[in-house]
Amino acid sequence: MKRPKLAIAGLTACSGCQLTLLNCEQKLPEIARRFELIYFPMGESGCDPQAVFDAAIVEGAVSTPEDLATLFKLRNSSRLLIALGTCAIFGGVAAMNNRISQRAELMFGVYGEAGGSFQSFPPSPFRNFVSVDFTITGCPPEKPELLELLAALLTGTLPPVHCYPVCTECRSRENLCLLLERNELCLGPIIKGGCNARCPATGIVCEGCRGPVREANVAQEMELLSERGFAREEIERRMSRFTPEWNYGQRR
Amino acid sequence: MGSVVEINPLTRVEGHGSLKVYLDGIRVERVELCLTESPRLFETLLLDKSYAEVPEIICRICSLCSTVHKVTALLAVEKALGIRVSPATELTRELITNGGLIQDHALHLYCLLLPDLLNLPGVTGLAQTAPELLKAGLAIKRVGNLIQETVGGRLIHPVNIRLGGLGQGIGHDPLLHMQNELQEILPACREACRLFLKPFDFPKLPAPNYLALDPAGPAYSQDFLQMTAGGSFAVADYRQHITESVLLYSHAKYARVLGQEATVGALSRLNLGAGLSAEASVIFETVKEEIIGKDIRGNNLAQAIELLQATERSLEVIGELLQIGRDGAGNVQIVPGSGRGSAACEAPRGVLIHSYSFDANGMCYEADVITPTSLNQGALARDLLVLARYMEGSEQSLLVSALERLIRCYDPCISCSVHLLQL
Repeated sequence: MKRPKLAIAGLTACSGCQLTLLNCEQKLPEIARRFELIYFPMGESGCDPQAVFDAAIVEGAVSTPEDLATLFKLRNSSRLLIALGTCAIFGGVAAMNNRISQRAELMFGVYGEAGGSFQSFPPSPFRNFVSVDFTITGCPPEKPELLELLAALLTGTLPPVHCYPVCTECRSRENLCLLLERNELCLGPIIKGGCNARCPATGIVCEGCRGPVREANVAQEMELLSERGFAREEIERRMSRFTPEWNYGQRR
Repeated sequence: MGSVVEINPLTRVEGHGSLKVYLDGIRVERVELCLTESPRLFETLLLDKSYAEVPEIICRICSLCSTVHKVTALLAVEKALGIRVSPATELTRELITNGGLIQDHALHLYCLLLPDLLNLPGVTGLAQTAPELLKAGLAIKRVGNLIQETVGGRLIHPVNIRLGGLGQGIGHDPLLHMQNELQEILPACREACRLFLKPFDFPKLPAPNYLALDPAGPAYSQDFLQMTAGGSFAVADYRQHITESVLLYSHAKYARVLGQEATVGALSRLNLGAGLSAEASVIFETVKEEIIGKDIRGNNLAQAIELLQATERSLEVIGELLQIGRDGAGNVQIVPGSGRGSAACEAPRGVLIHSYSFDANGMCYEADVITPTSLNQGALARDLLVLARYMEGSEQSLLVSALERLIRCYDPCISCSVHLLQL
C-alpha cells in the first residue's frame, strides 16, 4: 500500500495539536510505518524543503510574515491542507483580544519599545488566506478525531463531518445541566461537540474551546445568559476566549 | 571573509527556533539563538480578565507544560485571594505535576533525544531500528499521560484541577488503575537510568550556576528559590532578583538571576539536593559523579533519574489519596477580592514563576510569567559559543549536529518562553 506523504507543522500555537498526535503512544509505531512523515520539525531532523505532500496537517493561527510564508508553502506543496485545532480554524486564544485592542499596543505591553521591531499582526485563521480542505477542531483536539483523519487519508479520502453542539453529548451522558440547573455561564449550546462533554462531565462549564457549532442559536444563548444575570460584557469576553468573531444576533 | 551557518528550523525541540553561527574564516565570532516562536502576548491578554479565567487561559501558553502552568497559576491566584486548599487537593496537584513530568521527560528522552544517541534523524527512524526502546519510552510517557488525563479530566490543558480544589474527586478505581500502570513502568524507568548514563562526547562546558526551588521543603511548589552562587531568596521578591531584557533577534526574553546566568531543570534540582524516593536515591548514589557539579550534558541522566523518582513518588501519593478517600477532597469556596500573588513550581524543565495582581472586583491588572527556558537562555547561549569555538574548523554537518545536541540537552520549550512580562 502506498504510504501517504505527510507534513505536520505548527504556526502561532502551543504545539498542543501536534502533541496530541505524539500522545497517541500505542498508535505511533503504526503511524510511522504507514505514513511518510516528510516534514515534521517537532519530531524529525532534516526536512527536505522541496518536498511535496499528500496532506499537510497544520496547527496554529497566522500572526507573522513567517507564519504566512509557511502556510502558503504548505498549501502549494500539498494536495490537502488540514487545519488542526481551534487556532487554525478560528484564531484561538492568541486572537481573543482581536476585536478590542490593537496589535501594536499588545506588543508594546510585552516587549516595550523593542516590540516595534518585531513583525506581527492580529492572529487569524487559515481561511482568511488560503482554502482549507478539512478541519479538526479543539483546544486541544480529541485523539479519536485525529486518528479518524489519518485512517481516512490512508484510503484516500476524508472523514465524515460531524456537527452537533456540546449539549448533545452532555445530555446523553446525563450530566447535570450547568446552565439551566446551576445558572452557570456554560457555552455548551453554541459550541461544536465531539469532546464527549469533557468539562461539564467534571462539573466545569464549557469554555468554548471547540469554537462555534454550525447554525448556532447565538442570540438565544445570549438571552438565556442575560436572564441569569450575566453582563453582556462578561458573556462576550468568555465567548471570545477562543473565537473572536461571533455574530451575536445569529438565530437559526 | 565572514559567513553564517544557519540551523533553521531547530528540530526535535518544542516550538520554533533557529541558530546562526557567525564565522570569520574558520573562526567563530558569535552565536545567535533566535527563539522565533510567534509571540502570543499572554501577559497582555490576561489584563482585564477575571481571576477565575486566568488559569484557564494561561495554561494555553504551552501544551507540553500545560499542567504545571495551570497548577502554578492556580497557586498564584489562590495566594492573591488568600485561599488555602485542603491537603487532599495539594496531593492531587502533586500527583498531576508528577504525571506531567513523567510524560515530558519520557517524550524528551525517548522521542527527541534518543535519535541522537543512535545517530538517527528522528522518531520514524527509531520505529524502524530500535522499536523496543521506542516502545518502552512510549509506555512510560503513556502512564504520565494517564495520570494527567485521570486527574485533570483532559490530557492537554487540564480542566478538572480548579481554584479551591477539584471539579470531581478521583475515585477509588481510577486511583488503583494508575497505581497498577505505574508499577508496570518501574522496570523501564530503571532501565532509562542506564540508557542515558553516558553524556554526549563534547568538551567540558562551563560549570552551571544551578537554580531550583529550595529543596528543604517537600512537594512541587516552594516559597523560596536557591542558587549555587548567591544563596536563597523568596519567590515573593523575585522581581528584585531576576531581571529580564529583550533581545532584538529573539522573541524570548533573556533572564539573569542575581546578575548571573542561571541553569534550571533536572540537573539543577539534583545538584541542589532535591529529596529522592527510595530506589531513585540508590541509583543516584551510584551515578552521582555524572551529575554533581557537571555541565548541562548531565541533564539527560538527571531527567532519567527523575522519571524513576516521579513514578515512585506518584505511587506514594496515590497510597495517601486512597486512604483519604474521594469524599475527603474538600473544595474551598472562592471569594473574589484584591491582592497580589506569586508562586513558583518545578516544571519539568525547571523553575517556573507566575505572578498576578487583582483589583477589588477580582479583575487582573498585572500578569507576569517567568519560564524555565527564559531562565536557561543565557546559559544556553554561553555554552553554544563555547562549543562552537571548540569545534572551529570542523565540518559544517558535525558542527550543526553538535550544536543541536547541546540545545536538546537543555530541553528548551520555546512555546513557553515566548510572551513574557510587562516592562
